Amino acid sequence: MGALVDYIQFVLVPQVFNGLTIGVAVILIALGLTIIFGLLDVFNMAHGEFYALGAYLGVTLAGRGVSFWLLLLLVPLLLVPVGILVDRALIQRVFHRKERHMLTMLLTFGLAGVMEDVFKAIYGANIIKPATPLTGGIDFLGNYFPTYRVFLLAVGALTIAGVWLVVNKTSFGAMVRAAAFDRQMAASLGVPVRRVYSATFAFGVALAALAGVLLAPLYSVFPTMGKDFILLAFTAVIVGGFGSVRGVVLGGLLLTQIQSLASLYVSPVWGDPIVFGIMVLVLFVRPQGIFGGKLGHA
Amino acid sequence: MLESTPLVQSTPLVQPAKLGRVAAYEWSHRSAQVFIAAALVFTGVAVFVGDTFFLRLATEALIYAGLAMSVDLLLGVTGMLSLGQALFFGLGSYASTLVLKHVTPSFWVAMAVALAVGTVAGAIGAVLSIRARGVYFALITFGMAQVVSKVVYNTRSIGGSDGIIGIPVIKVNLLLFEVDTASPAGFFLLVLALVMLLYFGLAYLLRTPAGRVLVAVRTNEARVPFLGYQIRNARFLAFVVAADLAAFAGALYPMLRGFVSPELMYFNVSGDAVVTVVIGGLGTLIGPIYGSVVITALKSIIGTYTDHYPIVIGALFMLAVIAFPNGLMGAVDTLRARRKGGSP
Repeated sequence: MGALVDYIQFVLVPQVFNGLTIGVAVILIALGLTIIFGLLDVFNMAHGEFYALGAYLGVTLAGRGVSFWLLLLLVPLLLVPVGILVDRALIQRVFHRKERHMLTMLLTFGLAGVMEDVFKAIYGANIIKPATPLTGGIDFLGNYFPTYRVFLLAVGALTIAGVWLVVNKTSFGAMVRAAAFDRQMAASLGVPVRRVYSATFAFGVALAALAGVLLAPLYSVFPTMGKDFILLAFTAVIVGGFGSVRGVVLGGLLLTQIQSLASLYVSPVWGDPIVFGIMVLVLFVRPQGIFGGKLGHA
Repeated sequence: MLESTPLVQSTPLVQPAKLGRVAAYEWSHRSAQVFIAAALVFTGVAVFVGDTFFLRLATEALIYAGLAMSVDLLLGVTGMLSLGQALFFGLGSYASTLVLKHVTPSFWVAMAVALAVGTVAGAIGAVLSIRARGVYFALITFGMAQVVSKVVYNTRSIGGSDGIIGIPVIKVNLLLFEVDTASPAGFFLLVLALVMLLYFGLAYLLRTPAGRVLVAVRTNEARVPFLGYQIRNARFLAFVVAADLAAFAGALYPMLRGFVSPELMYFNVSGDAVVTVVIGGLGTLIGPIYGSVVITALKSIIGTYTDHYPIVIGALFMLAVIAFPNGLMGAVDTLRARRKGGSP
């Protein structure tokens, strides 16, 4: 009995906690991805690079003496015009052609390659490790939890709740859902559809950037960092169902917990194959995802 | 000659498709002949001035052209965007490496094993992926390559992250004579012959009834079942043939460079192939070959000034997607039509 309690306290609890912080990271990245896809029908292949852009902007501004707490607000705001620009200058150019899925995917894929190399050109290929803004840890029932990770969980939970509120309870969210449900009808009812598109893209991108600032102290900053979480984020979106906020949260938590608990029993090398296996399985059994359904379809 | 089998009237085999317009195969073949002629002239000049470097580079461009062609078969012909085609390229290169190094230094055995591996892996990949459409298909192919490359990266017995070096130079037995893989001009000509064979073979395949179904799947998927064909079978066929093409091209890589590494399966290799196809001209089969040469040349030229050629190539790629969805082949097509005075 004692051994079991010890096992739970010293093996399972830290592992679940670790999984949770990665889960929050994945969810923050996947949220923007799923909202953009749900409304615009655009699969943003450059999403991981916007996450990296957020992290790099954070590093640069922190170097100029901007405090970390201000960055959490400032960086996502700075990304809003960037997102609008990308939507207007690139995505809208192919948006109304047939094969929109393919074209926007190709376009954002090209953008990802360019962005990654721009990071390399400006910051070099080296890994930058920003200082953790909160040091120390919290002792709780004999377990030690690093303060920054606890903070990350709290901010993550708040952000997720905020996104849910924005999508479901604000007039902007109502316009987004209306436009996703029926674009023509929304437009004829006076919803500025094009502006809603740009705003949604910018919103999703800003979320990725926020994730970049938040996660940089834990997972470091380097040009290819965008690719690190992207398979997990893609899978969370697929498992949860495209366009569903609730689905992404549950999908992200589920996947990261499975991965993190599995690493207790099998080599962590198998983490990616497990995630991929789940992706394929879900696409086989329930292609619309566990909580599938388009944004706006409740 | 392939031209002597006329297509149905003058209708292009591939109807002006949704993504980019596809050139008729007749003039694609003319582009292929131009390409061969140019390659032969290039070889002559290179041998005359005693060049090795550019011949090796051109050989690499042709090998990657084979990979790009396999992406074109999926994306340009059948309408499936694969973001993990490097997986099969890498599997082919590992298969050929292991045969050459540990079994027998025979070119033909190595190619046969690579094709067998490509077929088996392609069939497994097809089962996993072809049920999914569009974005989902792309994500599954991306995931497959990601997973396998990680497994290879972590498998010590096949070199792990270091890959395999010390692949022997071999003599390719062509019955009448032998080609040494160490001979830059000889091996270049061999690869040229093989890649052009792949091109003509594929163009032929697309004219057979089975091949026309592949084209139809992209042109009008909804109508295919009414003609009595199973879309799933067509997609399966396309996927396996594409995997074979990629594995075939991959098998040539270690003969050129003397080593393989898990990087051959990485996303940037798959991504580069997609870029090559779009810049060269989707659905033309010959476009990827031109595209590969153009991109290799660009990389090499820009590379003498800066390491950051991906910015230039990426920007070019985005421009192509937005403004020239027909790529290089489409641009040439338009020019020709304009010179003739007709509207394109």
